[in-house]
Amino acid sequence: MLSSSGRIIGAVEIGTSKVAVLVGEIARGHSLNIIGLGVASSRGVTKGEIIDYKAACECTGQALEMAEKRAGARIEEVWLAQTGGHLDGFYNEASVNVKSADNTVTAMDIAHVCELAKEKELPEGRTRIHELRRPFRLDGRTVPNPEHHCGRRLEVGYWIVHGQQSKVSDNIHAITGHHIEVSELVLASLANGTLLTTAEDRAHGVLVIGIGKGITNYVLYRDGHVLITGTVPVGGEHVTNDLSIGLRVPQAPADVLKLRYGRALVQTRSRDDKVWLDGALTIGDRQFPRLAIEQITAARTGELLEVVKKKLGPAFVPEQVGGGVVLTGGTAKLPAIEEAATRVFGLPARRGEAPPWVKEELRDPMFSTVLGVFQFGLRALQESPGGGTRRHPSFLSNLKKIFIST
Amino acid sequence: MRRSAGCSWREIRQEVQPRAMSRQGRCRQRLGWLKVGLLFLGVVLAAWGIYEIVYAWETDRTAVTAAVHSDPVCGLEPFVTDGVLTQQWVEGVINLPRNATLMSLDLGALRDRLLAHGQVRGVVLTRNFPDKLGVAIQERTPVARVQAADASGRPQQLLVAKDGVVYEGIHSDLPMLSTLPFLDGIKLVRAGTGFRPIEGMDIVSDLLATAQLQAPHLYRSWQVVSLARLKENGEIMVRSKEIPVVLFSRKDDFFRQLSRLDFVMDAMRRLPDPAIKTVNLTLGSQVPLTPERPPPELLQLQPTMSNQTKGKRAL
Repeated sequence: MLSSSGRIIGAVEIGTSKVAVLVGEIARGHSLNIIGLGVASSRGVTKGEIIDYKAACECTGQALEMAEKRAGARIEEVWLAQTGGHLDGFYNEASVNVKSADNTVTAMDIAHVCELAKEKELPEGRTRIHELRRPFRLDGRTVPNPEHHCGRRLEVGYWIVHGQQSKVSDNIHAITGHHIEVSELVLASLANGTLLTTAEDRAHGVLVIGIGKGITNYVLYRDGHVLITGTVPVGGEHVTNDLSIGLRVPQAPADVLKLRYGRALVQTRSRDDKVWLDGALTIGDRQFPRLAIEQITAARTGELLEVVKKKLGPAFVPEQVGGGVVLTGGTAKLPAIEEAATRVFGLPARRGEAPPWVKEELRDPMFSTVLGVFQFGLRALQESPGGGTRRHPSFLSNLKKIFIST
Repeated sequence: MRRSAGCSWREIRQEVQPRAMSRQGRCRQRLGWLKVGLLFLGVVLAAWGIYEIVYAWETDRTAVTAAVHSDPVCGLEPFVTDGVLTQQWVEGVINLPRNATLMSLDLGALRDRLLAHGQVRGVVLTRNFPDKLGVAIQERTPVARVQAADASGRPQQLLVAKDGVVYEGIHSDLPMLSTLPFLDGIKLVRAGTGFRPIEGMDIVSDLLATAQLQAPHLYRSWQVVSLARLKENGEIMVRSKEIPVVLFSRKDDFFRQLSRLDFVMDAMRRLPDPAIKTVNLTLGSQVPLTPERPPPELLQLQPTMSNQTKGKRAL
């Protein structure tokens, strides 16, 4: 449950390629005003996981400092995006017999079935990130809120997202190392899904895939609820790596070639069509076959999407994903990636676009996760008991916070 | 409510060792300490401020005078007393300075000034803003009189209250005072401008009150009450118009003793020669009487018999 109102919050994503920080001012628990932005190149992070704490902490500090300077305010707490190959999820459901004599479902029945469904134990060293509820079913029929309905058997299922405790700790400590409290963790795929899809999309069913540099995360919605989330430890750097091997060039020029000439589907027919690496006729500049570049990037992108489809397994039923596929992340900028996704999933695909209220400078897919973190957090605030009109923290709780924070 | 199995990420400790903290983190931490320090300083300053205000309020009344609107005192209102003292007398005693405001008055000192008069048992002074001083007085009620000499040696009649306080009756009702018996067998000890309270007056006033209430016909004739034998023998000696000496004991119930005296008086009146010198009520149900003139025949028959035995026989 999120817990803030009228405060300066920082939404942070510590990614493989960059650390992005947005500073937002949340007024009265429901209105968000983005007042600062900070981006720094990421170091010490591979496939979304911190492998060098000091380096990761340093670049996070740079991004935080930049964002605070631009915002002209100090971040009081952080909502942190969580990603990485260590994240996993499972589905657990429970059912109870309705207790009352007249078969009317009470709040106690609902609380009981929810507790049972969340009770499943985790393996050693794992920690819970999210418990995402699927719709209630009362005697087999789906009901959004079963309270006061009549029925005999109440069922509910939870998609429980968990991660390796040490890796989650590392992520948190990269923030608390700057003496800022992490008050929320939000799964990066959920953040993307919340920002880039509408409630209507989610009701019809939609698959959101975020392809980052080191990792790809996805979320599948059905009937307005999260059906499944997951990560694939493959991202844009694998395409670069394959280009580097295939074209026999170092990583940096391979990355340039991917960004300039890479495509998710092969378009070039001629083997003689060649492209210059630099094009300025400088020493060391050389030509590469465009077809080869396109073939490598298309093959890897197709493979990546196939892996996602495979991981979705039987949960993915194209007929129940009316909203299609939404692609985001840096690698989603590859030309023709929509067509590639359409071929793989058999569904219309589109690049995710930030809602109209997002400023032009923040519309780049690299900010979709941090923006989504804010959106997800705000939604959770509004849906929590008391919603946006939650009371301000008491004087005593503020005092306690000051003491704890020192 | 059962808790979900497996720990939540919220249970992960967020504290980081200072060595693992970034430069900005340490800076924030120092700012946090500074905040706590300032908060502590603020609390201390606030507490000190409150203490100073309370201290000023309690000790230096003039310092807070300006904070309250009050005009020069123009009278005592309300003035309440349960006795005979008048407002003019009280005004004369407290003698308020001209143009004094309510907040500049030292009510404690004014109260002490009134309490210095023995007739005043208790005083409540209240500030009635903007310009009135409320006075409520409880007075002592006299139960006896005492004759004493004033500072110049002239005889002076003083009053004695139930608690033994001796005071000069002010505005007292003279016919009422004339009904009070005089006290005898006491030593008045000067204390300041007055006298020390008389010991044993609570017992005497109990006797007088019982007599006044239960046997007013006897009380009316009482002239002197002596405490001379009270301390040593526990006896109170009353001199009335009819009997020169009536002895009461503090050990027995005064009502019972009065009823015996009443019976004796009734019996005495039926005698051909009712002149009795002493009635001793200190011996319980036996009440020895001493006649003024013993009958000659009794003196002849039993010349050695004591007067007391004679009296008993007479009854």
